[in-house]
Amino acid sequence: MFLTLIRRELLDNLMTFRFAAAVVIMLLLVVANTVVLIKDYELRLADYNTAVKTHRQELREINKTYSDGMLGVWGAMILDRPPNPLSIFNTGLDKRLGNKIKVSHTFVPTIWDANKYEADNAYFNILTSIDIVLIFQGILSLLALTFAYDAIAGEYEHGTLRLVLSNSIGRGYVLVAKYIGAMVCLLVPLLMSLLLALILLTTSTTVSLDTDDFLRIGGIVFTSFIYLSLFYLIGMFISAITRRTSTALILSLFVWAFLVLVYPNMILTAVDTVPRTDTKTAAYNQIKQVWEELERKREQFLRNDPIPGESWSLGLDFSLSFDDNPSRLVYHTDIAGALETIDEKSEPLVPHAQNLFRFLGPLTVSTAERVWLIRKPAFEEIYVQPANRGRILLKFSPAGLYDAATEAWAGTDFNGTRDFFIAAQRYRQAIVNYFHDEKIFASRQWFAADQGAVDWDILPQFSFQRSDIGINAKRALPDLFLLLTMNVLLFIAIFLVFIKSEV
Amino acid sequence: MWHITKRELYNNLNSLRFALTTVLLLGLMVTNAVRHIREHPKRVQKYHNAVTESMNRLTAIAETGLYSLAQRGPGILYKKPSPLHFCAEGEEPLLPDRVDTFYNRNGRRFWRLAYPDANINMTNVGPDVSQIDWTFIIGYILSLIALIFTFDAISSEREHGTLRLTLANAIPRHTVLIGKFLGALISTTIPFMLAALVNLLILSSASVVHLNTQAWGRIGIIFCIALLYTCLFLALGLLVSARVQRSAVSLVILLLTWVTFVVFMPSTLAALASSFSSSMAYYEYEERYGQSHTELRKTWRISWRESKDEEVLRIRGEWHTEMAAGEERLRGEYLTFKVAQVQRARAITSISPAALLQHLLEAFAGTGLDRHQQFIENVQRYAREYREFVVDVDRGDPESLHIMGVREGLSQKPVNPEAVPKFEDTLNIGKDFNTAATELLLLSLFVVVLLAGAYLAFVRVEI
Repeated sequence: MFLTLIRRELLDNLMTFRFAAAVVIMLLLVVANTVVLIKDYELRLADYNTAVKTHRQELREINKTYSDGMLGVWGAMILDRPPNPLSIFNTGLDKRLGNKIKVSHTFVPTIWDANKYEADNAYFNILTSIDIVLIFQGILSLLALTFAYDAIAGEYEHGTLRLVLSNSIGRGYVLVAKYIGAMVCLLVPLLMSLLLALILLTTSTTVSLDTDDFLRIGGIVFTSFIYLSLFYLIGMFISAITRRTSTALILSLFVWAFLVLVYPNMILTAVDTVPRTDTKTAAYNQIKQVWEELERKREQFLRNDPIPGESWSLGLDFSLSFDDNPSRLVYHTDIAGALETIDEKSEPLVPHAQNLFRFLGPLTVSTAERVWLIRKPAFEEIYVQPANRGRILLKFSPAGLYDAATEAWAGTDFNGTRDFFIAAQRYRQAIVNYFHDEKIFASRQWFAADQGAVDWDILPQFSFQRSDIGINAKRALPDLFLLLTMNVLLFIAIFLVFIKSEV
Repeated sequence: MWHITKRELYNNLNSLRFALTTVLLLGLMVTNAVRHIREHPKRVQKYHNAVTESMNRLTAIAETGLYSLAQRGPGILYKKPSPLHFCAEGEEPLLPDRVDTFYNRNGRRFWRLAYPDANINMTNVGPDVSQIDWTFIIGYILSLIALIFTFDAISSEREHGTLRLTLANAIPRHTVLIGKFLGALISTTIPFMLAALVNLLILSSASVVHLNTQAWGRIGIIFCIALLYTCLFLALGLLVSARVQRSAVSLVILLLTWVTFVVFMPSTLAALASSFSSSMAYYEYEERYGQSHTELRKTWRISWRESKDEEVLRIRGEWHTEMAAGEERLRGEYLTFKVAQVQRARAITSISPAALLQHLLEAFAGTGLDRHQQFIENVQRYAREYREFVVDVDRGDPESLHIMGVREGLSQKPVNPEAVPKFEDTLNIGKDFNTAATELLLLSLFVVVLLAGAYLAFVRVEI
């Protein structure tokens, strides 16, 4: 009997017009957008590859000394953030945040120090962008509701519910049969469009997906399924309590409009979650003080050294690298040198310069570390906390939960994007350690290239791997569990309403 | 006909959807007003402070003489924030709110306009959502509501058999259709009007927001556009409702059409269009289109000599003015090139009524890309005026050598700071109509086609 019910539900749904329309629309939208998104990804990947190459080349061609590579404006040591292939599914922060970051011993790199390649036409950001998850978020939920609104109310109106229940079958079974039947039908457009998207992805030569990526996509599919089921249950719940199809339809539409369209936009319009820039000045002043302390120490050192005068250039052709940007909480100053040749007159100055840098290098590193202790909480307070507040507010809507969970699977969420910058921080630490170990600060090559340019290849090399699937899953699971809990609660609620209702 | 309209109206007013619509729209409009009251004074304050600073700087420069006025230029020029920001956000935070004037502080190079790039917010790690403005409320919510009010207008009457009853009277079919249309129009407009009026009431009672006559006129136009846009979806709803036998099917078709055209079409088409245009960094653009400065450099070598010779001065002056003009032209062209790419992509999205509405509302609210272009034009006109002013003042001095571009060649007399032209960004409603004309016509065309379609469908349908 149970199987008969499921079969009936399946046939009922499959034969309808809405099913055909759903499949067609889903396929059209997903395929059209996947093509565009793949092209976009390819462009970004090409940009990334060119950038890596030019940055590599510039570092080797322009920077002959260590200090020049660390402090120079042109061709300094720059790391590039690769685009995430799964951003095709959920763009998240992947496109928005900066994709190149400088590595220097003078500051600890963060998301907020990153920049973007100049070549892109920034005005295109005026146009709204789209990804596959957004399509699912909008259309799947709508479809689920159009399948669900008459699940109980329709049968009640036609009197078939009474017929079904006159057989010896529990009410719970009827509900489960309906649920299974509809979900199987709804899975068809979801899986078909996803498979087509995957076919397009795998045929593209530039997008390379490994096993982990397929598992992540599996996670996205599973989340989509839970999301779909949640909206089906919402529709069923409305259908069970209203018992009239027309009312159920209108009500579920409004619920959809509210949950998917209105709430996410309205809550963030109503509650201010823009970065709090008013706390910036305090942090900036602190940072400035720390650096000024270094400047004082430097002056003192220069006063006490045997060379007359207090000039930081020591009579050699050094340059003062200076960066002061209150809005980015940046303030640092250091002395750089890129001497091509050293004539005999200046040769006696070299040991003094080495002394200066032996003193200054570790001091700069420790200052940078101290500044990091100020910057880290400041960035937390200015950017991360408002953002997290906004995210939590969004999670009151299933659409927000779905978005957050898929973002986490794809690795384009805040944590996923930050992984790159954490890797950059680690790389900077490796470089600094290398400098300490090899006594680079005190070396002649720190400021002069007369005895040969620096070989940048012997330095530790940077490599970045996206976090493995376990971490993605760990980040996605809380939201996934919330979605699942909602599912279970709704099912229980429907069951209770349905059990008690008169037929 | 009025009878039918009235009946429709009573039917709708008593329904659940009317109540839900009113609540939803009221909530959205109040949110919108509250946000505008919170944000708008900050914007205006920022603008005023910036403009005052810019003006003070200009006066200070004018007091030091004509040469510094000619060399340093008018300073940063700011875009005036629109008081109708709540109607259309228009991605304003992304568009630059000023045009810089560059000059070489130490050297003698002359000022030229420099256009800042669109500011991508790389620092915001928060979730990305669209703001609740009238564009959102009308574009998404009101259109959905229009469909909800019409999806069963004909099909449900046919299902219940009341349509046959109505037509059994001596009423022509088109009268029934028009009656239904008007009934639905009035019943969607009532909650919208109510919500919009509450919104405007909150805004106008707040002391921080000032709406002048022109702004009210613009709001009136936006109301009309909103009505036109609602008509489009009502006509679509009637068309589908007349063609389809069952109201549930009718709603599903309408919803899918709506989702496709309103929600996804604008972004899909924009993404499609933008991925086919190649971008270029400024230095690449300069390499390709910039004139070679070799010839100018040759003449510059002559003028390098610190000579008071009039001929040398003339060449040097020419070099300075040419350099400034050349670079300014190139930067302007580069901006036009970039904006044109985006405009092309935007033009393609015009197939979607929601995108059309967005462009129209932006045009009349004085925000968005069209407005930005207008601002750039204003700035360029002002730059010409400013340069002419310098020339005129110089011409008025008989002792001057009349050589632009060098200190020695210009009038040494003090300049009256009051006389220096000041930049004020203005909005021109006539221009807005011009830019919006095509889109307005396109929207009207859509409405007429759909209405005609609904009429034909209803006349031919069997009952």
